[in-house]
Amino acid sequence: MSYTFHFGQIVGDIPYLVGGGLVSLEIALLAFCGGMVLGTLGAIGTSFGGPLVRRIVRAYVVFFTNTPQLVQIFFLFFVLPQVGILLGPFQAVLLGMTINAGAYLTEIQRAGFGSVRQTELDAAAVLGMSTWQSVRYVILPHVVSTLFAPLSNHFILMVLGTSMAAVFGVEELTGRAYNINAQTFRSLEIFSVTAVLYVAITLLASAVLVVLGRTLFRVRMRIV
Amino acid sequence: MQNFFTFYNAEFLLDAMLTTLLLSALGCGIGLVVGFGLAVVRRTRGAASAPLRVVAILFVELFRRIPFLVTLFFTFYATQIAGFDASVFSIATISVCVIATAFLSEIVRAGLDSVHPNQWDSAAVANFTLMQTLRIVVIPQAWKVVLPPAFGFFLLFIKDSALASQIGLVELTYAGRELNNRGFAPILSFGSILLLYFALSYPLTLLGRRLEARLAGSRHH
Repeated sequence: MSYTFHFGQIVGDIPYLVGGGLVSLEIALLAFCGGMVLGTLGAIGTSFGGPLVRRIVRAYVVFFTNTPQLVQIFFLFFVLPQVGILLGPFQAVLLGMTINAGAYLTEIQRAGFGSVRQTELDAAAVLGMSTWQSVRYVILPHVVSTLFAPLSNHFILMVLGTSMAAVFGVEELTGRAYNINAQTFRSLEIFSVTAVLYVAITLLASAVLVVLGRTLFRVRMRIV
Repeated sequence: MQNFFTFYNAEFLLDAMLTTLLLSALGCGIGLVVGFGLAVVRRTRGAASAPLRVVAILFVELFRRIPFLVTLFFTFYATQIAGFDASVFSIATISVCVIATAFLSEIVRAGLDSVHPNQWDSAAVANFTLMQTLRIVVIPQAWKVVLPPAFGFFLLFIKDSALASQIGLVELTYAGRELNNRGFAPILSFGSILLLYFALSYPLTLLGRRLEARLAGSRHH
């Protein structure tokens, strides 16, 4: 093996890669927010909905947690144009990641909702609170501290999951690494720098989440 | 338009499904063995094994934070440059082994920690070597803690193996894209592989839940 590492050739492209890291974080953040909306709706549907709603949410969760995210995005990417919905790669990836995240976050939030004592929910019902009011004033304050750790864990997984956006041509970290590789052919150097950047981004995101948890939600976590 | 539901297509998809299953099972199996080794190395306390410990910790922390696609590409290019004429399946398996080792060594470490320190100490008092301690005292108690999350990881990996299609391995996702390229409607080709992944994953998920209920229940003492 006579390969010499030439990091000098790609040093100039490192800011481009870091920009790609920011795009990855952006995708993960947007998909997480969308997934949280879907997840909360799903958890409310499971806890307060009738048998039909529960069955639909259950089918949604079971289907999207047992199939790969990549294939889900492929399906959206190729099938939606045929029914007339024309989405760019970025939007298609975002939609796919949001729906996938919604399924996992529904599961996480359902566990959280289930941990609230029945007496609290009964008291809320006795006071005449609507579903939305009991979620907002009774359930959420109880579960926010419990759910913060699993939710932030899932966010870190989503940041790593954004790398599959490169398959669709989205210019996030892995996509940009692939572009530079196509130009310079310094594959080992580029992908090792990309790997280091991903480790740095996930450590940074974990640290920010730990600080956020300690200050806002009084949750003591370690940077895992 | 040609008929999608032919024997030839079914054979193609089933073959791809077998490749997916084999890739995940082989990778996670080897990952469990090597991960076990890493977990044991992390538990040693001597100064002589300190460099090994550092390497083990670095390996685990690094590869848990790198996306599978990046690991795949890196392994792909590294084997090409090193001159190994490896098949795409071997390259994908190596990547899966690396990632599975990192994640499973954490799971095994939790399992080893779940065995009460008294057990480890009693084995030391009885003058067991490390291998004897593991074989006679620790593994019989730890495997119940290790197996459910390890099985859960294997399930997760069946879905992650879809990314191996990006380096050209003919597994289920690649088969779906291939059928799409051959002109079949995308809703049929991708819909069928979604259903096949579901058919692969859901029964195993139920099995994993059964496993967890049985093994976790029997640990109450």
